[in-house]
Parts: sequence; C-alpha cells; structure tokens
Amino acid sequence: MAECPVCGGTVTTSDDVVEGELIPCGECGSELEVKQVSPVKLAEAPTEEEDWGE
Amino acid sequence: MTIKVGFLHSLIRPEEKLLIKEFESRDGVELVMLDDRKLAFNLGEDHFDLNVVLERSINHSRALHALRLFESAGIKCVNTSKVATICGDKILTSIALEEHKVPQPEVRIAFTEESALQAIEAMGYPVVLKPAVGSWGRLLAKVNDRDAAETILEHKVTLGSYHHSIFYIQKYVEKRGRDIRSFVIGDECIAAIYRVSEHWITNTALGGKAVNCPLTDELKDVSVRAAKAVGGGVVAIDIFETAKGLQVNEVNYTMEFRNSIATTGVNIPKLIVDYALRAARG
Repeated sequence: MAECPVCGGTVTTSDDVVEGELIPCGECGSELEVKQVSPVKLAEAPTEEEDWGE
Repeated sequence: MTIKVGFLHSLIRPEEKLLIKEFESRDGVELVMLDDRKLAFNLGEDHFDLNVVLERSINHSRALHALRLFESAGIKCVNTSKVATICGDKILTSIALEEHKVPQPEVRIAFTEESALQAIEAMGYPVVLKPAVGSWGRLLAKVNDRDAAETILEHKVTLGSYHHSIFYIQKYVEKRGRDIRSFVIGDECIAAIYRVSEHWITNTALGGKAVNCPLTDELKDVSVRAAKAVGGGVVAIDIFETAKGLQVNEVNYTMEFRNSIATTGVNIPKLIVDYALRAARG
C-alpha cells in the first residue's frame, strides 16, 4: 500500500513490485512510477518523450 | 558458472516485469538491473562484470548509445547497437529492406518542403508522412490531397525540430481493418498477431486489438528475411497484406508483447530469455 502523489488516494501494490515499475492509481487514473520498494514510494511517471517506443 | 545478465531499462512495463520474472526463474542466472537514468559511462575505463546485456529501454536514443558503449567495453548485447541504429530510423530500415530485397511499400525521402511535395505528387495520394525516428504511431500523417500535403509539410518545417524536415514518405496501403505484427527471435518467426482497428493506424498502443495470426510459410519467410536485413536478434515486424503479397512496414527492436502471449499461446518472454542466455554462453 502506498499513497498516490497526485490525488492522495491509496494505491495497492503487489508483493513482487520492483523499482521503476509503472502502476496506475485506481482512484485518479494517474500513471505512477515505483521509486522505492521497501517501503513503497510512488511518484508521477515521466511524460512520454519523442523517442519513446519500441 | 553463473551467467550475469545486465538488464538495461528505464521504466518497468509489463514486458520488462515478465522478462525479469523469467530470468529469476532460471538457475545459475544473476540479473543486474541497469537503469539508463542512473548510468554514467567512463569511456575506455569501464569494465563490466557481465556476460550479456538485454536492452529494454523505453528511450531509443539512450538505448542506442548505451548499447554501443557496452559493446565498446566488450559486452555482448541483445539487440546489437547496429540493429538499434537501423530499426530506430525508418529511412535506414527501408534502405536495409531494399538492399535485402524484402518487399515493402513504395518509399520516398526528401529534405525540403518543395522536394517532398514533388515526391508526394509523383507518388499519388494518399501517402503517409512519418517521422524518421518515432514509435507508437506518434505524428503519423495520412495525406489525402495537395492541400493537406502543403499544410502538413509547412507545419513540420515550422513547428518541428530539424528531424521533422527529413521527410519519410510512404505510399498509403489500404489495410482493410488490420495489419500483422510478427515476432522473430534469431532465425525463427515464433508467433504473429493481427492488429485489428477501424482506424488507419493499427498500433495496439493506440487501441488496436490483438488477434492470433496463423504462421504461413510466406509470413515466416518475409519476417525472418526482414529480421536478417536489419541485423537479426529479437525483433517485431509490422507487415501489410497487399494484393502484391506481404510488405514490411517497420521493424521494432525493443518489442512489446504484453497483448500477444495469451493471444498466440506462445511464451514470448521465455523465448527471449532463452535467446539472451544462448548469446551469453557464446
């Protein structure tokens, strides 16, 4: 469990969460990045850049 | 002997999570996470205790240069920087496909508004203007007539960085609601999906739906030839079905597959990990 930095809601994370993982906030829909695993800390995910992709 | 795998990444998406889990399930494998946001190379001085680097960065420019730097330090990489160079640039991809006689739609390249407009008029409408570097269907423009061509070309020159004044012009292919995404690992085409969409852009990133696509001999042949044209490795090929047969649209070197495992029944991350470990063992 961690706090969404955007809306302050509670975000549930899985046991195998890893640093850098993208997860959505179930309350506000923001895309979040896991910045720290133990305890879980979240930040807003970076916005898409021009060279992102496959 | 433990195999040390460098996992080059930035954000961890479902694909990276699946690959991490697959690596962690293997005996004798140590996964070393390499976040491209935290790397700082010391050219000529770096010594990495790694047997292979698997590239999964979300930024093309970081992936390309990090791969080249790891290679320069003597580390084997999947994919290679050569593959990243070619696949990351649609012009270089089209050149590689042409030089290897892999079928693709008509492509013209121009460097000014005037010459691009002349090329478009010579090709006939519609055409698709694409940034040479870009992904996920970003900034693709279907140009249906001269008015649209003049407007889009002017906007690209005025509003875009210099990259957007390198005009990659592809003849528009009527897709009848779908195209094909095939997956190639090494010498084998392992699976394929149809990307179904009512929109002319079928990328699953933009809502295209994945449906299993049977592997025909023609599909396997075109896919493997396209993969070899860009240097091989682990790649995903976007393919149009046309009256002239299959034509290769693009080749992707950091392939996304989250929608294709259940759809195809193929354990794609397992096969990627197998390939990376084979590369590590030499």
